[in-house]
Amino acid sequence: MSADLERTPRNLLVSERSSFLDPKNRISSQLVQLHFNYKVCVLLPECSSAPSHLDSALNTFSSFYLIRNLPLYELLDTHFLETVRHGGVSGLSYRTRLDEDNCVALMPNGRLSLSLDKDSFELLGVEGKPSRFNHRAKSRFVVCVDLTDSSMAPGGRGHQRLVTGLTSRLPLKTDFLMSLPAGGGASVQALLSRYDWSEHRPEVISCSLTDLLCPSPLTSDPSSLTSDPSSPLTSDPHRLLEWLGAVHAAVSCENSSSSFLSSLVCPEPNKKLSHALSVSVCGLLSHQDVQKLIQEIRVYLSVSPPGPASWASVTLHGFVDSPVSWGGEHGVLRGGDNFLSLTMFPDQSYLLHLAGGAQDTCPP
Amino acid sequence: MRRADKKDEPAVYQRVVLKNASPYHYLKVCLVVEDDSTRLSAVELKQFIITGLNSLYGEVGAALTFDLLKYDEDTLTALLRVYSRGLVKLWSSLTLLGSYQNQACAFRVLQVSPYLLALTGNSRELQLD
Repeated sequence: MSADLERTPRNLLVSERSSFLDPKNRISSQLVQLHFNYKVCVLLPECSSAPSHLDSALNTFSSFYLIRNLPLYELLDTHFLETVRHGGVSGLSYRTRLDEDNCVALMPNGRLSLSLDKDSFELLGVEGKPSRFNHRAKSRFVVCVDLTDSSMAPGGRGHQRLVTGLTSRLPLKTDFLMSLPAGGGASVQALLSRYDWSEHRPEVISCSLTDLLCPSPLTSDPSSLTSDPSSPLTSDPHRLLEWLGAVHAAVSCENSSSSFLSSLVCPEPNKKLSHALSVSVCGLLSHQDVQKLIQEIRVYLSVSPPGPASWASVTLHGFVDSPVSWGGEHGVLRGGDNFLSLTMFPDQSYLLHLAGGAQDTCPP
Repeated sequence: MRRADKKDEPAVYQRVVLKNASPYHYLKVCLVVEDDSTRLSAVELKQFIITGLNSLYGEVGAALTFDLLKYDEDTLTALLRVYSRGLVKLWSSLTLLGSYQNQACAFRVLQVSPYLLALTGNSRELQLD
């Protein structure tokens, strides 16, 4: 019994080191497979304010829409399908919990994924398959349709069947978050005008940190992290991720091992950085904006004068309740974690950590 | 429990997959007490949780080490860190803690993750209204 008490649900962490200069690096495709980005956190050491080009990349994340009580058959509307076919439209049901409610996701490539409980799935009457995370109990089902497929063209068989299901048998309504490609606002005006909607800009929070305790390879020779696999931070990525988490969560690392409250310490050896900048952007973020931000940080690292602490960290959190992540089905067993952490260095090398929870496929 | 596949290409490419390797688990919990004006200090909260471990698992359970990483006295919300093998014991004793100084109370476990970093970006906290 006590052995069972010590078990925890499975978790996966993929740790990669590579370089942007390596023609085989897969960073772009790995970023895209997180599908729905909720928050990006940037940490810049020895930096008190972001340079202008980086500041503009952080403040120009595209806005997104929240449509309240949207009936799902509207996603199969002729005009909307036309917009989806051009690509870049993504959307996710808002305030629905993947472990309790019916959830919907529309991916930029035009695939629509519905994660439904058993009753709703049977009412809908469209082909689907049991969720791979509870295939024995068969209590949750996933319906995946490609809206760009010819059978989903208005009037096609698949289209008619889904529309009938969503109008007469299962009239699902949900609050829906939607992001559109640049200049795509006009094409959905007709849809928006029929419902209560609002436009939101991603929220940017900037925080200046002083006297930050930082693990030593990051303060003296950061590039050694990618060239020397035996470095403690590279060989045990959990130490680096814990420290980054403590910085972003504003948890103090200055404890002694005998302290009653907390024995969390910064990995040894460590050194104090006089200042650092932490910026977070929060909302439904598009991949293009995230890629642009990473590109700007690469430029920032390559032009900033070489110093002992020249590196930058970007953490990208996915939506917990997205039915898809890491290129496959996603579930929430206990936390629904899906995030990546990218630590970049001036020589264009990087460390990448991709994390998945108990109900995730192995990150790419 | 670990699987690692390494490729030593001329470039520095390396990929390692770690399964269940996380040494700690992190919890974000909130204490709800019947009387809203009740305030606890960080030390009192940790002592209260230890009492819960003691009553469910005895002296051995009360010796389970966990850390109170951060605590907000106004919202009674705390970040806890526990060794992965102690997660179930800590979580279950939090669940069964039902009274604080003769008042009904309950711990709401808001988020659990093997990564502290994941606790800084919970999309369920997105407020757009």
